[in-house]
Amino acid sequence: MKPAPFDYHAPRTLEAAIALLARFELEGVEARVLAGGQSLMPMLAMRVARPQVLVDLGKVEGLDYIRADGDALLIGAMTTKTAAAESALVAAQQPLFHAATRLVGHRQIRNRGSVGGSFAHADPASEYPAVALVQDLQFRARGPSGERWIPAAQFFVSYMTTRLDPAEILAEVRLPPLPPGTGWAIQEFARRSGDLALAGIAATLRRERGQCTDVRICAFGVNATAVRLPAAEQALLGRPADGEHFSRAAAIAGESLEEPMSCIHASADYRRQLVRVLTGRCLEEAATRAA
Amino acid sequence: MIRDQLPTSQVRYVGREVTRIEDPGLVAGSTQFIDNLALPGMLHCAILRSPHPHARIIRVNANPALALDGVVAVLTPEDVRRLANPALTAPAGWGTHCLATDKVRFVGEPVAAVAATSRHIAEDALELIEVEYEPLPPVATAAEALADGAPLLFEQHGSNVIQARVYDWGEVDRVFAEADQVVRSSFRWNRVGANPTETFGCICQWDLADNSLSCYGSYQVPSFWGLARSISLNLPANKVRVISQPMGGAFGGKGGARATDIAALLSRKAGGRPVKYIEDRMEYLLAGFGQSWDRHYEAALALTADGTMTGLRVKLIDDQGATAEGYGTISVAKPLAAFTGNYRIEAARYDTTLVVTNRAPTAPYRGYGPPPHFLVLESLVDLAARQLGVDPAELRRRNYIGKEQFPYTIPSGNEYDSGDYAAVLDKALALAEYPALRRRQAEARTAGRLVGISVVSTVEPGVFDWNAYATVGVQGVGVPEGVRVVVDILGNVTVVVGFNLQGQGQYTIAAQVVADFFGLELGAVRVTTAPTDLAPPHFGQGGSRLGVAVSSAVLGACRKLEADFRRVTAHLLGVPLDEIELMDGRFRMKSRPDAGMSLAEVAGLMLGRSDLLPPGMEPNPQASCVWTAPGRNAPDDQGRCRSYLTAANATHVVMVEIDRDTGHTEILKYVVVDDCGTRLNPAMVDGQIQGAIAQGVGAALYEEYVYDGQANPLVTTFVDYLMPTIHEVPRTERDFVVTPSPTTAFGAKGCGEGALHTTPAAVICAVNDALAPLGVALTETPASPQRVWRLLRQAGLG
Repeated sequence: MKPAPFDYHAPRTLEAAIALLARFELEGVEARVLAGGQSLMPMLAMRVARPQVLVDLGKVEGLDYIRADGDALLIGAMTTKTAAAESALVAAQQPLFHAATRLVGHRQIRNRGSVGGSFAHADPASEYPAVALVQDLQFRARGPSGERWIPAAQFFVSYMTTRLDPAEILAEVRLPPLPPGTGWAIQEFARRSGDLALAGIAATLRRERGQCTDVRICAFGVNATAVRLPAAEQALLGRPADGEHFSRAAAIAGESLEEPMSCIHASADYRRQLVRVLTGRCLEEAATRAA
Repeated sequence: MIRDQLPTSQVRYVGREVTRIEDPGLVAGSTQFIDNLALPGMLHCAILRSPHPHARIIRVNANPALALDGVVAVLTPEDVRRLANPALTAPAGWGTHCLATDKVRFVGEPVAAVAATSRHIAEDALELIEVEYEPLPPVATAAEALADGAPLLFEQHGSNVIQARVYDWGEVDRVFAEADQVVRSSFRWNRVGANPTETFGCICQWDLADNSLSCYGSYQVPSFWGLARSISLNLPANKVRVISQPMGGAFGGKGGARATDIAALLSRKAGGRPVKYIEDRMEYLLAGFGQSWDRHYEAALALTADGTMTGLRVKLIDDQGATAEGYGTISVAKPLAAFTGNYRIEAARYDTTLVVTNRAPTAPYRGYGPPPHFLVLESLVDLAARQLGVDPAELRRRNYIGKEQFPYTIPSGNEYDSGDYAAVLDKALALAEYPALRRRQAEARTAGRLVGISVVSTVEPGVFDWNAYATVGVQGVGVPEGVRVVVDILGNVTVVVGFNLQGQGQYTIAAQVVADFFGLELGAVRVTTAPTDLAPPHFGQGGSRLGVAVSSAVLGACRKLEADFRRVTAHLLGVPLDEIELMDGRFRMKSRPDAGMSLAEVAGLMLGRSDLLPPGMEPNPQASCVWTAPGRNAPDDQGRCRSYLTAANATHVVMVEIDRDTGHTEILKYVVVDDCGTRLNPAMVDGQIQGAIAQGVGAALYEEYVYDGQANPLVTTFVDYLMPTIHEVPRTERDFVVTPSPTTAFGAKGCGEGALHTTPAAVICAVNDALAPLGVALTETPASPQRVWRLLRQAGLG
């Protein structure tokens, strides 16, 4: 279980990293960005990923920060998940993202794994893409021709695939504030504490005069990317925030799901059941937080 | 009991919770595991493994690998056909060479190997080896193995059946015919196994001048593996030297037979340079000796109307995997040692069929067979309790072997030494607040919750003997375990043993006995291991045996030293031998206790003043003792014999709750009361129990080696094979009863495997108690959420 040979670069600046990626793209050399290594390193060791070059962002300056930008929060891509989990700013302003962070792996993984690395890796079982879709996160990509902002709805393309170009690096994540009065919840089902979720739900909703508004439900761990569940969301809009309607929305969530993936721990039909159950539970939990 | 054995006025160590002498090195990181070791000129081995479950090997071309810079040697099927022999197995004839020679029989089977200057290069080189396979139809399950016209794994046998054997003990047909109640069920125990923190590793060096082999590595039972290597590698046994390193756990199969042969032959081909092989986790999960107990059961329990158990019938089809090289066969034989558990059951039948399939070969795992057997037996007892409307604890109590009935011979022949099962049950029920627990369950059920309780009792056969395995072709009676106790000229004491650290703490046990015997501080006693060419006869860890064996052997050696030292003292003081006694570390006159000599004085005299010794006495302040369990005998034609020396027992009370929507099982309460006789070191017994509970919870709820319909393994990493972590293992409430064994020196019973016998049954029985009101039952392990959810859906929930 040793990686195939590769060249290793550890640039000091983002510009240098981008220049390396641009050069390798031009030369037809397959390069991968290393941003903590909690997923990529095992893939290298098992030789399921065999890039010719690794560009390590670990020594790049200026990618490790959490700061307020008005009501929003900006997080540098190389900020560790432990830093995010332990940040008072994150806990106070981004409770859903904060809760999601604490569900990621074990402490040792959070100590090494970066926030940006998780988004760019786009593992369908990861909590972060679901939060991104529910909360309309924005991703600042830096490339040879400058920078661009990619909204979450466009960022995740497919299984471990994002909209980032080969020479682009995810530099920063922008988390807009949850609108006042928004209730939120994230729950997942894993075989063991810290395992990748077999299924998970992130949800937000608000209540106006006892009725649900702005319902957002996103499933992860079931399809090739995290997926919003519009049919279930629609079923709740303008409806009373009560158990009966939550159950109905949960049933629709399960039924409307595109055929889920299957593994030895959870068949497609079991994953559908988990989505139904977790949707119901998340809506109940979110409702208790909604003003 | 302890006091009687030790010449001391105050026992300071034996039976006390003393700190383990092994631990400073483990805590500080100075203990040298095999991967810490490097020898000059050492090469690194990587092994090319079969991607096919069953395929003929047409051609292997390793030359391209040899051309890679850094590669020093390659090993091919042709080499091993020429240089090595197939593994010995029991029954005979179901083993293969270390590399597949004619065909591969499981995914992960070694096909070729490389020695290179780094493991990275060795793995690069594997990609250059060309192997041409002709796929053969696989045998994926035991049922397929037994089907007419099934593809054969070993053509020469004309069948995939390793052994089919029916044991009849007593009038089974009569008791079933006369029974008022017969409960029956089938069970599927899916493959689980040992997963030590450290996988197997070794460094092998072939001395080409001497034509001898040295193997450093994580060898659980050094001389056993050394002997096996001499056979597989065509070397006289005294030319194979095994140097066992401290191990990061083992739990059964650690010893890397194939890997050792491969590394040894690579060393031979590499001009005698040492070759290191460290098995990685994926290799371990695929083809290490970590898979055990792949079983299909049909079983029945006969009872009279008053709930007296009279007969037990167990039919077992056991999937041994591709070969018998891992000694998985023994796990079918071992249940004979405790077939009827804690109960007075007069007759029993055991109908066994061992088959080969294209799954990985099975190996020993802690417990070595009885844990699934007890799941079957205890599940039947619960079924009977439900049918008779009797509380499961009460039904068990009615059928326990009474404490006055020991020694008690069970129908399958073994003799239990002692026990007080009712006392253990009482303590467990009291600790669990059983009536209150049942009330909580009733309330929960009323509220629609799925809450279940189990009360499960099992026996742990302790101190194994080879005679227990005779029925599957293992020969012999007695398992010699030797120690040498050496006193130096200044009175320092060293104990030499033949095994190495594995986690249980037997070095500490040895030191405890020596320190109390000679009045020394525990830390002053050194315990060290010897390579197989210098060690006394030994086996090592296995069969819940080493604590009893080592303490007995050390005691025996100490007594021999005591006799010699008394002789020297008597001669020097000019008094009769009878007048000298050892007490609190001094050899003194009985009539004048202030007159005497210390251990150091006698040893110094022996080694430094031969002129003062009794005439003809050797200047040899050391003694060996090789212990084996007394009273063992050869089995009769039904496998009956006195096999395991001791019979510990335990009762677990478990409460679980099943999530109605997801099928997830949560353990709400876990109570353990056990009786392993004298606890030589109570903290270490506690460690054994808690660790075995973790493994039992794994087997009951999490772990499973899954294969697809073509015998391809679907479990290749720890993402697939789920061992419980600290978050999943319950906090247990524990207590114990002490019924000293009359058969061992200090009254201790084997206790290294105990809770793994009980926990799977206890957890599954609790799950089934939770499901009982729904009219469904789980008869397959583990109780994974998905599996339980299917049952819930079948019952109209979920």
